Amino acid sequence: MTAATADINRIGFSSEIFEQFLASRQEPAWITEKRRAAFETYQTLLAEELDPEEFKRVDLRIFNAARFRPFAAPTDPSAVSALLRDRAEFGGSIIHRDGHADAAMLADSLRAQGVLFGSLAEFLSSHRDLLEPRFLQQAVKPDSDRFAAWHAAFWTSGTLLYVPRNVEVALPLHSLIAHTRDGVADFSHTLIVLEDGARATLLEETASASAETAGLHVGCVELIVGRDACLRYVQLQNWNEKSWHFAHQAGCVGSGGSLQWTAAGLGSRLTHIHQDVNLEGRSATAEVNGVTFAGNRQKISWYTQQHHRQQGTRSDLLYKQVLRDDARVVWRGMIKVDPAAQQTDGYQRSDALMLSDDARCDSIPGLEIEADDVRCTHGATTGRVDREQIFYCMSRGISRKEAMHMIVEGFFRQVYDRIPIEIVRETLSRTVQSKLGIETTGL
Amino acid sequence: MERMIGIDELRPGERRSVFVDDVPALVIRLAEDSWHVIEDVCSHDGQPLTNGDISDCSIACPRHAARFDLRTGKALCMPATEPIRVFRVEIRDGAIWAAP
Repeated sequence: MTAATADINRIGFSSEIFEQFLASRQEPAWITEKRRAAFETYQTLLAEELDPEEFKRVDLRIFNAARFRPFAAPTDPSAVSALLRDRAEFGGSIIHRDGHADAAMLADSLRAQGVLFGSLAEFLSSHRDLLEPRFLQQAVKPDSDRFAAWHAAFWTSGTLLYVPRNVEVALPLHSLIAHTRDGVADFSHTLIVLEDGARATLLEETASASAETAGLHVGCVELIVGRDACLRYVQLQNWNEKSWHFAHQAGCVGSGGSLQWTAAGLGSRLTHIHQDVNLEGRSATAEVNGVTFAGNRQKISWYTQQHHRQQGTRSDLLYKQVLRDDARVVWRGMIKVDPAAQQTDGYQRSDALMLSDDARCDSIPGLEIEADDVRCTHGATTGRVDREQIFYCMSRGISRKEAMHMIVEGFFRQVYDRIPIEIVRETLSRTVQSKLGIETTGL
Repeated sequence: MERMIGIDELRPGERRSVFVDDVPALVIRLAEDSWHVIEDVCSHDGQPLTNGDISDCSIACPRHAARFDLRTGKALCMPATEPIRVFRVEIRDGAIWAAP
C-alpha cells in the first residue's frame, strides 16, 4: 500500500499575511525589524517537524490556521462575561479585545511609585531602554519553537507590569484577554518585570464573548522576578470550546526570589502550553499549581519544565486534572538540574481523576539531574471516581450530582489550599460546579 | 453523510487522510470495490495510524505494532485492547461518503 501524505499548509501564516499585518501596525522601526527577524525564523521552523518529545501526543491535524486572521481594527467594547473581573478590588486593570488593548487603569499611588502597568505596545515605544533587553530576550526566545516564533512575529497586544526596586503592589492587578469576533487570531503577550525586592500579584483571565465564535490565541507569558522579589501570577484560561490556544510561558527567578504561578485550563477546544520555570539565582523558589477541567472533546496539553540552574533552589509543582466525556489531557513534566545546582529540592506531581470511560489522560513525569547532592521526587496518579463513595453519599440523601461535586471538590482541595488568593479559589470552585452542571449564582 | 473523496482519486492500494465530523480519518481503497474509512488514531497511544502497514484487511500501528480490523475496528493484537472507530461508507455519485 502507498502511504498517505500530510497537508502542512494548514498550520501557519504566509508572508502575504505577515506583510498585511505589518502594514496595519504603526510601530517604531526597531520593533518592525524584530518582527521581520522572527518571521524569518518562523518560516524556517514551519518547514521543520515539531519536537516529537513535546508534540507527539498533541494531535494538530484538525487545526486549520487559514480560518483565522489578526484583526486590524479594534473591536467595539462589548460585554464579555469574565470569571474574576468585578469580583474584587484591583490596583489596576486592563482589557484586551481581539488583540487590541484598551481600558487600562492603574491607581495613582502606584503610578507615583514608578509602577508601569498597561499596554505593552505603548510602553515598548515609550520605555525602549528599559524593556528591549527583556522583551522576548530573557524568558522566552523566538527561536524556541514554531509557536514562539509565530508569536514573536505577530504579537498583537499585551500587558506590561513593571515594578521598581523594593516597591510593593499590595492590591492585585487584573488583565482580561477576550475574543469577541469569529475567526480572530490573537497573539497577546504578558511581560512582568519585578526589580529586586519588589512584590506584586497579577490575575489574568481569558474569555470568549460567545460560545459560537471560533478564535485562535498564540500567546506568550514572560515573568522576570528579580533578587528577593515575590510574584504571584494566576492565569485562568476559559476560552470557549471552539478556540485554539497555544502558548509559550516562562518565568525566571533571581536569587532569593519567589514565584507562585497558578495556571487553570478550563476552556478551549485544544490547548498546548509550554511552561518553563527557570530558577536562575541562589535560593530561588517556585511553586506551580495547575488545575484542569476538560469535558466534551476538549484536548489540553501541558509541557512543564522546572529548571534548576543555581545552588539551593527549590521548586514544587502540583497539577490536578479532571476529565469527563471524550476529553483528553496530556501532562509531560521535567525537572532539570544543572551541574551547579547542588542542594536542589525539586518536586512534581500530577493527579488525574477520570469521570468517564472515554476520557484519556497521559501523565509523564521526568527527571534530568546533573548534580549529585539533590533531592528530586516526582509522581503521577490516574484513577476513576470510586463508585462506593458515590453510593455512600447517595445513601445519605445526597444527589448523584452533588456527590460527584463533593468528590471533585475534594480532589481539587489540595491545590486550592496552595492558592493564597481567596477570589481565585472561590472562582475556580464555582467554575468547577458550573462545568459539572450544578447551578451557580453570581458567576 | 460527508463526501470524502472521488472514486477516481484513489487507486486500489492507496489511502488518503481526511476528516469525518472533525475527526481525523483515513480512507483506504483495498481493492477495486473495497473501501474503508477508519478513525486515524491508534486506541493504544492516541497517535496517527496514517502510514501503518496494511495487510489481511487490517492496519498496524507504525509505532507499537498494534493491529486493527478495517471492517470492524476491533483490536487484533496487543498492545491495543480497545477498538478504533470505523465509519459507515457509501459509494454514490462517483464518490465515497462516510458517516460516524
